[in-house]
Amino acid sequence: MAAVTLTNVVKRFGGFEVVHGANIDIADGEFVVFVGPSGCGKSTLLRMIAGLEDISGGDIAIGGKVMNDVEAADRGIAMVFQSYALYPHMTVEQNLSFGLRMNGNPKADTDRRVKRAAEILRIDELMQRRPKQLSGGQRQRVAIGRAIVREPQVFLFDEPLSNLDAELRVQMRVEISRLHKELGVTMIYVTHDQTEAMTLADRIVVLKAGNVEQIGAPLDLYDDPANRFVAGFIGSPKMNFLGAKIVDTSNSAAIIELVNHGGARLRKPLREAFPAIGAEVVLGVRPEHFFEAGEGDCDIPVKADVAEHLGSVSYVYANAGPEELIVEREASRQRAGGDHFTVSIKAERSLLFDKVGARIR
Amino acid sequence: MRTQNATAYRFLTPYLLIFAVFWIWPIISSFLISFQATRTVPWRFAPAFNWGRLIGDPAFYNALKNTLLILVIQVPVMIALAIVMAVLLNSPLLKARGLYRFAFFAPVVVGEVAYSAVFRLMFSLDFGIVNKLLNSVGLPKIDWFSNVTPAMALIMIAVTWRWAGYNAIIILAGLQSIPEDVYEAATLDRVSKVRQFFHITLPLLKPVIVFCAVLSIIGTMQLFTEPFLITERGGPGGGTETLGLLLYRQGFRSLNFGYASAVAYTMAGLAIAITLVQLWLMREPK
Repeated sequence: MAAVTLTNVVKRFGGFEVVHGANIDIADGEFVVFVGPSGCGKSTLLRMIAGLEDISGGDIAIGGKVMNDVEAADRGIAMVFQSYALYPHMTVEQNLSFGLRMNGNPKADTDRRVKRAAEILRIDELMQRRPKQLSGGQRQRVAIGRAIVREPQVFLFDEPLSNLDAELRVQMRVEISRLHKELGVTMIYVTHDQTEAMTLADRIVVLKAGNVEQIGAPLDLYDDPANRFVAGFIGSPKMNFLGAKIVDTSNSAAIIELVNHGGARLRKPLREAFPAIGAEVVLGVRPEHFFEAGEGDCDIPVKADVAEHLGSVSYVYANAGPEELIVEREASRQRAGGDHFTVSIKAERSLLFDKVGARIR
Repeated sequence: MRTQNATAYRFLTPYLLIFAVFWIWPIISSFLISFQATRTVPWRFAPAFNWGRLIGDPAFYNALKNTLLILVIQVPVMIALAIVMAVLLNSPLLKARGLYRFAFFAPVVVGEVAYSAVFRLMFSLDFGIVNKLLNSVGLPKIDWFSNVTPAMALIMIAVTWRWAGYNAIIILAGLQSIPEDVYEAATLDRVSKVRQFFHITLPLLKPVIVFCAVLSIIGTMQLFTEPFLITERGGPGGGTETLGLLLYRQGFRSLNFGYASAVAYTMAGLAIAITLVQLWLMREPK
């Protein structure tokens, strides 16, 4: 087991910088998820930790030892690839034991490790099959098994569930979570799926265009995002963003006018910064933070466009002026396209961002 | 559906007619001819005449021996060379990849007569660059065309030069279909590049290598151009005569079509048999 520390890590491909000085501390035994949209540099970061990509600047340390120039095989890590990367011509058993056999590991120890991995992942029955005779979920288990037999200090997962169907993804997510509890090893997991990040992580690292936007526990990111990007990325369905402007500031609060909703106003208490009067801002409201008319600080009328009824909860896609809002409603089965209704916003359940997306607290 | 099929077959008819007349019929006809004595007028049915002669003909055994010798030495050497060339072509370190790919493939598009003439010049006893090079490093000249062993070697060198690049391009396609992350997984498993080649690349290339080997076996069984043009009709003294050349001599020099047909069927039978053995040896384990 080992801690992983990234200090000012930079990656350039030719003259093009894709990771701009990442600083991340991962504690021993922690489960950290790198999340972000395609091209944000999360996989590149993971591959640099693995040693599959060179580091253009900064330091990567595993277990307190700087690994910049250490061969991938000597870093004490194991990696699970998105495409599984199983050896197609070998049986499951050979896939699991290949690395150990090639390195002259004693047979008894290899057998013990392979047996243990097979038991943990419940793939004992599949040992003599080849990858093409396995389902996607089984292949993924074998790929994880191949990582387990290495008995690494750090597990790296590169979007391991993105090739599985929705049901299997949920199942494997639970298994990976259980595996982390069972092994207690540091795990770094890359995904673009914020649900995976929220459900698996001890801490999430949100990345955008090669920059670390925020690091924190899943619910901390959800409740207290550092900026508009994190607020929009974490949470499903996405947070709603309403165009607004500051019309007054007084007594530790700002009066905000929603510009697309007929001059609706609300008073938002602020602690740190007070934007100038007239400044354009954005008010963020999560779908579940729209209340019934009159319950909040500011009512806005909307017209339902489409309603998704998921059983326990419904999401109503509503139009409010030029803005489309997603409103979560319990027991709103009767709500259908074309309905007019009013939602209410509470100041304390909304977030304020400036024009460039930085949070105003 | 039936109407559709009928329409399709009506459109196919011109092709099928040509196929039947110029492909199917010659195949059947030559098989029938192999059972006839064709040096008498009129031809007469005599099953033992050609096939019996084949079994006891020293010229046939000489040609068979030469063909098999070329097959056994040249094909494995060429395939091994093609694999090495493909791996080099696939290397990320290689610059001007397109140029090399073209250069390796170029021998296939060069005219057979032109390439044979160049080889004859290059290996000429007194004027050839090969002997000059041998001399320059202190080795004696070799008379490539007058002695059997050098002549056979020359045939093998020529065939290898002509077809190694072609096979390398096919193998390169196979190499490029192996996903990069399999190698990355092996790197993380601390498997050296050399072991990756033998334990991952070669096994995964097996189907492509088998394909190349089968094509090469069929090609070598029919080998004709090189011994005909480079070593002057299988010379010296039949030392490089192949089955293809024997067939030509019997069929088109001696006009002994029956015997030539028997030789042709023997060549085809051998090619099929060797290929089947090859496929069986290289079969995928269950």
